This record gives sequence, structure tokens and C-alpha cells, in this order.
Amino acid sequence: MQKEAAIREPLILGHKTYHDVTEDVCRPIEDKAPKMWYILFGIALVIGLYGVGSIMYLLGTGIGVWGLNKTIGWAWDITNFVWWVGIGHAGTLISAVLLLFRQKWRMAINRSAEAMTIFAVFMAGTFPLIHMGRLWVGYWVMPIPNQFGSLWVNFNSPLLWDVFAISTYLSVSLVFWYIGLIPDFATIRDRAKKPLAKKMYSILSFGWSGRAKHWNRFELVSLVLAGLATPLVFSVHSIVSFDFATSVIPGWHTTIFPPYFVAGAVFSGFAMVQTLLLIMRKAMGLEAYIHTKHVEYMNIVIMVTGSIVGTAYITELFISWYSGVEYESYAFINRATGPYWWAYWSMMTCNVISPQLMWFRPLRRSLLFTFFISIVVNIGMWFERYVIIVTSIHRDYIPAAWSMHFPSHIDIAVYLGTIGLFFVFFLLFARYFPVLALNEVKTILKGSGQSYKESPDYHKHH
Amino acid sequence: MEMTKKYWKGIDELKQTPEFIKHKEQEFPNQQTVEDFLADENLAESSTARRDFLKFLGFSVAAATLAACEAPVTKVVPYAVKPENVTPGMPTWYASTYYDGASYASIMVKTREGRPIFIKGNKDFGFTQGGTNPQIIASVLGLYDSERLTAPQANGSTSSWSAVDTAITKAIAGAKKVTLLSNTVISPSVQRAISEMAVKLNGEAGSKFEHIQYDAISYAGMREANLLNFGARIIPSYDFSKAKTIVSVGADFLSTWLLPTEFAVQYGTRRNPEGEWMSKHFQFESVLTVSGSNADVRGMIKPSEEAAVLAYMIKALGGNPGFAANAGSWKAAADKAVAALTKSKKESIVVSGSNHVGVQQLANQLNNLLGNYGTTIDLSTTIELHQSQDAKALQFAANVAAGKGPDVLIMMGVNPVYSMPNGAAFAKGLKSIKTSVAIASHADETASLCTYICPAHHQLEDWADFRAKSNEYAVAQPTIRPLNNTASALESLLVWNGAAARGGQDSAVAYDYIKATFAAINPTGDFNFLTHNSCVSLATTPSAAVYTAAPVKDLPSANGTEVVFYQKSAIGNGQHANNPWLQEMPDPITKVTWDNYITMNPVEMKGKYATTYDQEHGLNMAKVTINGKSVTLPVYPLPGQTPGTIGIALGYGRGANGEKIGKAAYQTKEYGGHALQENGQLTPIGANAFALLSAGATVSYSASAAISPVDGTYPIAATQIHHTVMGRDSIVRETTLSIFQNREKDAFNEGHKLQKLDKHGDHVEAPISEFDLWAAHPVEKIGHRWGISIDLSSCIGCGSCLIACQSENNVPVVGKDEVRRGREMHWLRIDRYFASDEEAAVGTKKDKETFSYDDAEIAALNPTVVHMPLMCHHCNHAPCETVCPVAATTHSNEGLNQMAYNRCIGTRYCANNCPYKVRRFNWFNYPSYKKFTEVNPAQDDLGRMVLNPDVTVRTRGVMEKCSLCVQRIQATKLVAKKEARVIADGEFATACSDSCPTNAIVVGDWNDLKSMIREKSEGVRAYQALEEVGVKPNVWYQVKVRNEENTLLDKIQVAEAHH
Repeated sequence: MQKEAAIREPLILGHKTYHDVTEDVCRPIEDKAPKMWYILFGIALVIGLYGVGSIMYLLGTGIGVWGLNKTIGWAWDITNFVWWVGIGHAGTLISAVLLLFRQKWRMAINRSAEAMTIFAVFMAGTFPLIHMGRLWVGYWVMPIPNQFGSLWVNFNSPLLWDVFAISTYLSVSLVFWYIGLIPDFATIRDRAKKPLAKKMYSILSFGWSGRAKHWNRFELVSLVLAGLATPLVFSVHSIVSFDFATSVIPGWHTTIFPPYFVAGAVFSGFAMVQTLLLIMRKAMGLEAYIHTKHVEYMNIVIMVTGSIVGTAYITELFISWYSGVEYESYAFINRATGPYWWAYWSMMTCNVISPQLMWFRPLRRSLLFTFFISIVVNIGMWFERYVIIVTSIHRDYIPAAWSMHFPSHIDIAVYLGTIGLFFVFFLLFARYFPVLALNEVKTILKGSGQSYKESPDYHKHH
Repeated sequence: MEMTKKYWKGIDELKQTPEFIKHKEQEFPNQQTVEDFLADENLAESSTARRDFLKFLGFSVAAATLAACEAPVTKVVPYAVKPENVTPGMPTWYASTYYDGASYASIMVKTREGRPIFIKGNKDFGFTQGGTNPQIIASVLGLYDSERLTAPQANGSTSSWSAVDTAITKAIAGAKKVTLLSNTVISPSVQRAISEMAVKLNGEAGSKFEHIQYDAISYAGMREANLLNFGARIIPSYDFSKAKTIVSVGADFLSTWLLPTEFAVQYGTRRNPEGEWMSKHFQFESVLTVSGSNADVRGMIKPSEEAAVLAYMIKALGGNPGFAANAGSWKAAADKAVAALTKSKKESIVVSGSNHVGVQQLANQLNNLLGNYGTTIDLSTTIELHQSQDAKALQFAANVAAGKGPDVLIMMGVNPVYSMPNGAAFAKGLKSIKTSVAIASHADETASLCTYICPAHHQLEDWADFRAKSNEYAVAQPTIRPLNNTASALESLLVWNGAAARGGQDSAVAYDYIKATFAAINPTGDFNFLTHNSCVSLATTPSAAVYTAAPVKDLPSANGTEVVFYQKSAIGNGQHANNPWLQEMPDPITKVTWDNYITMNPVEMKGKYATTYDQEHGLNMAKVTINGKSVTLPVYPLPGQTPGTIGIALGYGRGANGEKIGKAAYQTKEYGGHALQENGQLTPIGANAFALLSAGATVSYSASAAISPVDGTYPIAATQIHHTVMGRDSIVRETTLSIFQNREKDAFNEGHKLQKLDKHGDHVEAPISEFDLWAAHPVEKIGHRWGISIDLSSCIGCGSCLIACQSENNVPVVGKDEVRRGREMHWLRIDRYFASDEEAAVGTKKDKETFSYDDAEIAALNPTVVHMPLMCHHCNHAPCETVCPVAATTHSNEGLNQMAYNRCIGTRYCANNCPYKVRRFNWFNYPSYKKFTEVNPAQDDLGRMVLNPDVTVRTRGVMEKCSLCVQRIQATKLVAKKEARVIADGEFATACSDSCPTNAIVVGDWNDLKSMIREKSEGVRAYQALEEVGVKPNVWYQVKVRNEENTLLDKIQVAEAHH
């Protein structure tokens, strides 16, 4: 067995046995749900249904129910889309990239991070669909054979690349997540007493028997999928950024967008993982598995990506001045001092200043502070997309066409609705799915568990 | 060409076999007669097997069931006998004439399958030379107004013509006093009918019948002044194309004053700096008008200073105005005007917009001093429009109000309850008149109070004749059979006079009568020829009138805030208030739609009223009180408004008591339906300012007022919320005439350059045209490449093109709430830029080092203005085309950027990526969504008739934009192809270029090396907006040249050229 240096903090606290791990993870699924779960689920469902209703109204009436206008063709819709896609970055990064780098701490968080990714991508995918004027012919973005003559999609369009990028990302993430779930479902299946649950989990577990051959295949497939998913982590948000970078609009037409968007996506994704896990570990009694060290690791990722994002902001500002292009420089002067200055400075405060606080060890190990910052970061990242999209087009080339954007209540309802739906999905996940990759965690129990690190045997070998 | 080759049907024909010869003549070989067929014995033997029978039965049942599921069959009825001149799919054009009591023009009416759908100016015949205005072009929509009266009304309910005629004839016979109150009658036939009526009713010396002419907008002051100075109540002709110096004191002659359809055309011919000479235009006014925005020099004056300005110039030119005039802040501008006038004696025009006799006398004196009579001003050819008899009409109205009205009052083409200063009192008195008759199209403010309403035909349904100028006789011919049971006004008068019998819907009464009138006026004239051209010239006798000085009396004085009552180019005097196209037309200066407001200089508004507005932030309200009457309106920040004055537009507040004057004349709610007032009545748009007018000898269009802020804000629907060009030099380019004449292109129109490497590896500057990111579309030298040139010097910003485009391309009307949200659908917009104090001219920074964006957002106190029509630029490297995921917008091989509405999925990416922001998205289903029922004509069964069948009506969720009138391109190509020739230059015109009174818009085939567009695009003034973005547009602008002294601009541009 691979052994870790003793000076490293253990990844599993307390004196957990293999059975304890199984018990800890399966208990919430097998027990009755706490009252709090029902309350939260109810709230999320109501908000989600309000959003669904608003979407129905939007589809029935027209895009005019949003606050868009002749100058500003995208605002909250695409802001929300990019925001959710960004959030959906953490899961695959954790499960794929960290897997390839053999970061064992990922095992405690990857399951829920991946679930979050998938639900976030669901939410993200909603927006490009509903933002279309004619959703019912939206399938035309697919290069499918048709009876319209030799009518083909426009492969020049970044929007088309988006379609491919997002759908690929979603399918790979989904498969990756599901493969990981199979052995854990089998564990639940084996413990389940109620016939219905047993039946359901046995279907979900695909007849997993835990044989060495299964494990061997499991490891191989995971590696292959990790290899496939890793480039996707970078490609999805790069391509999303192309929507803007390939345009001619000052403030959109920016060559540093791909790395800047990817860094921003990881930044916001980790923040969302923090928000969710800090609550979940408490609510589900998983403090032994997800503890300060995990939070600290994630905070370091937030700090690094936040710094990249901050550098990108400042680079953009510099280039806009250095370019000497009238429109480009005005676009950034307008961001900082124009009618949307408040959005710009909210973004700067949330995304540039707040992650820098993570340089202080006590702060990055403080759970309360982390929770607060994780929310601040996601507010900041929402504003980042709003600033990029709206403040660039609201005042572009022709001053007579300049305009302002004011969201309608449907804009707000649809956004809140996706947050509601996201939590509906996540709460269902927390209730019925193993929120920790329990079989994977067991593999590090001996290497990184506290009791083993503290045992005299452990030190003998060194 | 003779056939040299012979083809055979087969070998048989070649060989001429006997069988071939036998069957040659038979079309159907082996013909079998029915008898033969039935006699066939095998026929009886055939039987249907049981299984086959069941198959057939099953099929029949299924087929019948399926057939029953089908949608109801809409029948298309073909012509049994094809009407002459109507070919389905082909338009028929009719020459006609437009006159509505205010505007006059010779027009061409386009009909499709018998429906008039488009109006443009007649460039070949008539003194208006193709000039129109937005109201004339939009008037075609009025034909299909479903709230027009469909039958005569008696006491508020539908009646019949025979009943109404009998009653009216009886009432006239039994009356002691009959009064006909009409607007200016310029129809010789109607004049003849009226005089016949007068003769019949008055006999030799009776006074039973009286005819009073009264216009909502009066020019009585002018006629009275001319009576004093020239001995006749005339209005002379003005020729702005002969005037090297134009001085207008409060006259918006390009948009609303006197005869703008003619003046704008004349003016346009002398605004081209490449022409022989360019006129110099001085404007002294209070509200910034269309004319003021085009002026080379504009002085801000108060209305009470109009006399002083004229007197100052009279004095400076050596005349004696008869009183001492103190120069105000306008002195500098007036001095420049005097200098210019001195240099162009006999070649100048001075006009005054005042309706005050004294002020008009001063204008006459100044013109006389300059020797303009006989050169630019023609007393022999008189303008017959605007014959309002203010004093008589107002006295009559007062009599009616006092209950001393006539027994029978016939009102024709007037709406005194709405447009008279004492309209409310008149309305009360009107009820006491025994028999009141209104010849009107709607049950409007006045007609709804009358005993009888005799609905008149719409202009386009009626025969009519006109003599708008003494030297021209014109006719209007019907272009459609009357839609309703209406009657010609002329016929009604004749019937009531016993001179004719009703002719019904296909009546020839008016036609015959007009023919007779024409024969009397022009005995040798051919009526068919007249109808073909719509007009014919008449000889005039040279006027012997000489200027005689007359003392100027009672010049206006004022104290406190002075109000100017002006007309907007779209709404005018308010008679078209129910026309949604006009209501939604952005005002050329303020860009506000669907409202009137108080205009005030933003400098004065600071601290009291909001000086900026957007979708959510409206304007503050204020209450204006004049002689105890008041209106409450939002206050609009209008740069150029003379401090100390405010402006209020007339023509709003129509239908204040919920009269049925048209659905679009009333305010609507956010989710559709009319907004109701507390008393349950419809809410009019804006407030009626006619009620605030006061009258001395003539009606006065200015007054002293008290203005006080009122709490609350008011949402304002403007299509432009940013008013300056922010010092950007590649959107609008402006120069002075002297720079243009004396300097190279680099000084005033320097192209954008980029660095590139030459073959030695050195950095050299090269023009944008040498840089290409992509392979160019193969449009050069192959087939057609359509292009547009827009001359910013000639464009006066009138808005005719915008309405013509709306009419041609079925552009939906979206209503105030949607315009406020920034979603108007106009394919062509006219951007209006004010110069800021940071700029030497619109688009030229005074000092690049100290330039402040914050200050550049604020327009100058009295800014120069540029109007910039903007439509799709049909870029050859169109950024919209590359981003559409489904290739719904593509480039044609003729250089057009085309939209396939069917393919569009509505991502709006193209609109975002358009640098010109000309794409329009269908946010809702405008042809059916409830929000637009009241405003969009396409939602009305009758209103829909105005739609151009050549242009698709777009559904919701798709993008649309200017197509460069591709339907017209195709039609032009088809005609040329049929005639086996190439398209001639000028043969193809877009709706906008067709309707432009100043020919500022030129379209054509750029690949035709001799075409006008090619020449324009290669001229020294040509530039492309946002050239440096590299989208390679097919639209060229021509640099705006202002005939002004602008030393700062000169200095900057000379320095640029030396770079």
C-alpha cells in the first residue's frame, strides 16, 4: 500500500474503520430524511416551479418578456448561462484533473462536486435553449440531415461550437459521474432492506459484484474518462469565451478570454463546491471526511485562479489603453466609470480583492470565512459575466444606439428558478445518492486516515 | 433566326411510314367511343371480390375521415373577367394629388390587386417635384382605418344617404342663416359648388349663406401683411433654390411652414457643396426645429424678439423699421446674416413663421429692401393654400358659443371643437344649433356633436381637383372603389344645393363636375392627359403689385416664460393622430414617439427637472398656465431651446372625450388594451395645446406663461437616449465649405490607415481597403453589387424615408411601451447628433489631450446638429453572417446581406455583433399578440390591407432588418430581363431613396462603372462609417459640409492635413 508522509495532515479524521465509512455514507440514505431536508426541498421546489412557470410564460409570449432591447440582445440569459457553465467546471476538474495528478484529497469531494457540475450544466443548458426566439426549431443547430435541401449549419459560428462543447461536456461528465457511482450503489444495494429500494439500487448498480476484474475495469475506465474529460475542462469555457472573443464588439473582442474564462470558471466552481460542502458536511455528519484541510486545499485553488482572473482584468484594462483604439479604450473607461460602474466595482471587489485574503492561513482555514467568501466569489463571478456582456454592448460603436438594460421580473424569476431547480436536484442527490465516493475513500483510509497515521505501526516503516 | 436543323419525333416520321401518316392527325390514337366501351362484354363480367370490396370500403372510410380533419378551405376566387390594368403580382401606379388642408403634394400611388399600398412623391409632374412629408406617405394607412365612418349618421346613429340628404336639404330651405365652415378650399370645383350654393341661397344680395374658411394652423398674419404691403391678401411663391442666403425667423420651412413639400426640394438642390453654389442658411428660432437643425448659423431668440431680429437686420441694411430694436444674445448671428445678405441682394429669402401681421410686415420690408420680390419671391404666382380667415372664424365661433349660431351649420374638413382656441365653448354652442352637419371621416370631437355626419371619401377613393398655386391645376383620382358607404364632399354639396342626385358607390357626380370645371378653366386641355400627369400648368398674369410701406402696429411683447406652440413633422396639426406610423415616428429632433411635451433648455432645467432619461427613468412633469388655462406635460431637455422659452407641440390630446377617432389615437396599457381614465374614458395621447392659444387679429402661436414643476415622473418613449457622438470621428464627418473648397480630401475626410510591412520589410501606412481578414466576396465586377450613398449635407432629417420604409416593408408598429423599452422596429433610423462643448463640430474633438468623455455626453447650449440616416450596411464582411449558427443570414452574390426569416432561430447573436446596431428582433408576435392590437395595423382585418404583398410579415422570434428593398431589386431585374437589356442607372430605387425630398439617398449598382452610386462612392466626400472595423460596408456617407465660419474646425482640419 502506498503510504503518505506522516507530516501530512490526515485526510480522514478520527478512528474510522471501513465499516464506519460505509455507515457514515449510507446512513442518510437509509434513515428518514430530517425535517430540515423537507423544508429546504420545499423552498427549492417552490422557487424552481416559479422559474419553470416563468419559462413557460416566456416561451408562450416571446423573448420580449425579458428586459432586452434592440441594442442589448443578450443580458441576464447569457450571463446566467456562462455563470452556470463556470460553476459546472469544478466537478470535472476535481474528478479528472486531480485524478490524473493523484490528488487523494479529491476523493472526499469529487462525488458531490461532480453532481453539482452536472446539475449546473443542466441549468446552464437551459439558457441557450430558452433564449432562442424560436425554440421549436432549435434543433436546426444540429448538423442533421434534413429535407430543406442542402441546408447545413454554419460552422463559422462560435454559437455552434458552444452546442458541441456543452453537449460533449455534459455527456462525458455524466458518464464519468455514473461510473464512479456504480460500486457505491452496489454497497447501498447490498444493505437495502426495502424491496423497492433494493430493486432500484440493483438496477442502478449494473450488477456490480466487487470482483477484482470489476475493480480493474473500473480503474481503467476512470482513467480513460479522466483523460477524455481533462481537455474538456479547458475546452468548454474556452469555447464559451469564443462567443465573445470572435465578435467585433469592443470589450468582447479580447484575445485573452479563453484562459481568463477557464480560470474564472474554476474559481467560481470551487466557490460553489465550498458553499455546498460546508453545509453538507455539517448536515450529514461528514466532518471526519471533509474537514479543514480539504477546505484549505480548495481555498488555495480559489486563491490561485482568483489571482489569474485579477491579472486578466488588469491586463484587459492595460491593453485597452495601450491599443489606442478609441472604442476599445472607451469600452473600459465606461465599464469603470459609466452607468454600470457599480457592477464593475462589485466584480473587482468580489473577484480580485476577496481571494487575496486567502494568503492568510487562519483565514483560509476558517470555515465560516470560507463560506462567506465562497458566496462573495459567486456574486462576483455573476457580475463579471454581466459586466462583460451588458456593459460592452450597451455602449458600443454608434452612440445613437446606446441603451441601458433593466431586467424584467421574468428575468429575475428565471434566474432564481434555475437556482431553485439546482437545489431541488442537489437535495434529491443528497438524499438518494452516496454523497461521498465511499469505496474510493476506503482506499485512502489506511494511507491517510488519522488513526493509521497515529498508530505506532505506521511510523515503524519509516 | 431561321431553323436550319430539322428534328423528327421518330424514325417513322423520317421515313413517313403509312401508319405514321394515318395517325398523324389523330391526337389520341385508338379512340374508343363511350358506347364502344360500355358495349364491351367483358365489362359486365368483372366483379369485385369480397376482400377487395372491404379494402375499398376501408380506404374510403379512412379517406373520408382524413378529409374531414382538414382545415377549413379558404377559397381563392380567380378573376372571371380580368380587370384592365390589374395583373396579379404587378403593381399599378396612379398619378394623383394629396391635400389635407395643411400638406399638399403631387403624388404617385402604388396599387396592388386594386389596393393602394404605397405613396411617393411625383418627381415628373407638379411643382412639388417629388417632395413629400411623412404625413403624406403615411396617409395610405388612413384609408384602411376601421374606425372611419362607414355610413351617414343622423343624431348619432347610422342612417341612409337619402334620409340625411332629405333632412339637410329641408333644413337649408327652411333656414334663415346657413353657414359653411371649411378649411381652406383650394378645389376650383368645390369653390364653384359653394358659389353656386351662395347664388342660390343668397340670390342677388341676400346674406342667408356664408362661407368661412378656417385652418387649424393659420397663416392669416401673412395674408394681412401682404394686404397692407401689396394690396392683396396673397401669399407669394418662394423659390429657395434661387436664394444664396436664407434667413428664417421662426419659420420651419423644411418641415411644417407653409409649403414644406416644395421648399425642402428647392432647398435640397442648393445644399450640395459640389454644386454651382451652396446656400447659406440662418435660422432664428426658439424651439430647435428641423429647419434650425439644418441651419448653417442658428440664433436663439425668444418669440417676442422676432420683430427685433428683423428690425435689427433692416436697420443694418440701411432701412428704417420704424422703431428701435435692441439686439440680444442673437446679435452675433444676426450680424453674420446681415453680412451674407449684403452680399446676396436679390438672391436671398427672408421668411418669418410668425402669424403676427406686424412681424410679417417687417419680413416683407426686409425682402423688399433686399430686392427679393421678382427674383426669389414671386408675387405673380400665388400660393392658394392657408386662407384661414382668423378674425371672422373666431368671431363666428364666439357667436356660436353665445348661442347666436346659424340655423344650419355645415362643417367640412374642420374640427373647431379641437383646434379652435375657444373650442370648448364652441362645442357647447354647437348643441344649440338646429341643424349641424359635419363632412368628416370620423365621428371626431366636432362631428360627434353634430346632428348629421356625412362621411367623406378618403383621399384615395375620391375625385378631387386643386389649385394650390395659381399656375397649376391638379386632380386627384380614385385608386380604389370606396370601401364604405361614404360620399364625395363635393357631391354632398351639390346634392344639398339640388344640383345633382346621389350617385352611390360608383358615383360619377364629382368626376363629371370636375371635368366641367377643368373644361372651363382650360378649354383646350385634355382631361385624360391631365389625369395621367395629375396636373397641368396654367398661365398667370404678372403681378403689378409694388411694395408700399405701411406702419407696423402692436408688435408682440411678453414677460416671464414664453411658450412657443409648434408643429411636429409627424403629427402636424393633429388630424392624423390616429395614424400609428406617425405616432411612432421619432420626432426628427427629440427622437420621442407617441407624446408631446414641454421643451426646455437643459441648462435651465438643472436642479428642477431631470435632464436625462432612459427606459426606466422618465422625465419630470410641469404645469404650464396661460390665462387661467393649463396643461401638465413632461419636460423634455432640448438643447438649442432659447433659455427663457419653452415649446409645446400642437396636434396632441385628440379625442379627449373618447370620440371614435381611431384606435391608435389613445394610450395603451402595458399588456394591451386601451388605458382608461378615472372616468372610464379613453386616455388621449399628450395634451391639446390649441386650447392655450390666444388670438388678437390673428391667432398667436406664442404666449407668456407661468410654469411650475409638478411632482412625479412620466415615462418617455424615445428611440435615442444618448445625444452626442462622443467625439468619434469615423461615424459623422463634418467640415466647413471653405475647407471643402480649398483643401485636399485629407483635411476633411482622411481615411483610416493601418501599418503594414512592405516588400522591404519596412512599416508603411496603408488604407483600410488593403486589409482583408477573409477572402473577399466575389462581388466586384461580377453581376450587380447594390450600394447606397447618403449625403449628410442634403439630408434634412424629415423622416419621410423612415415612414416610406415602414410602409414598403410592413414594419410593425409596437406602441409606446415597447419603444420606451428600446424595441422600435424601424429598419431605417435617423440618428441625430448634437455637438458638445468638447467638439469643434459633431465628431471632431477640440483637443484630444483634454477631451473629457463626461463633458462630451452633454450637448452644447445651442448645438449644431447632424442627421444621419442609418440602415443595414450590407457589409461585404458582415459580422452578423459569421456568427449565425444556422446560416439564416447570408451574403447574396449581389452584395446584399440577406435574412432568411424561415431559417432564423432567434439567438440575436447577429444583432449583438452588428457594429451599426441596425438589426431588429421580433420580441413578440406583433401581428397577433394582444399588446399590439390597438397599434399595429397588421392586427386589424382592414388595416392589414395596407401590407405590401411582396414582403413577408415576420413572425415572433426572428430577426429582421433592411433588405435594401430586395423585392424592388428583383422586380427591376425582371423587367429588364424581359426587355433583354441591362438595368439602367436610377431604374431601381429603394423606398427611402424614392421618398427623399432632397435626393440625399442614392442607390444603384456599384458595378455599373457609370452609375451615380459609383461616382458618389469615389467622390472626395465619400466615407464609410466605422471603416476601421473592416466590415467593408456597401453604404457610403458624404461628408456634411456646413456653410459656416468655424475657425476652430478649420484650424484642426488644416493641422490634420499637414500630418
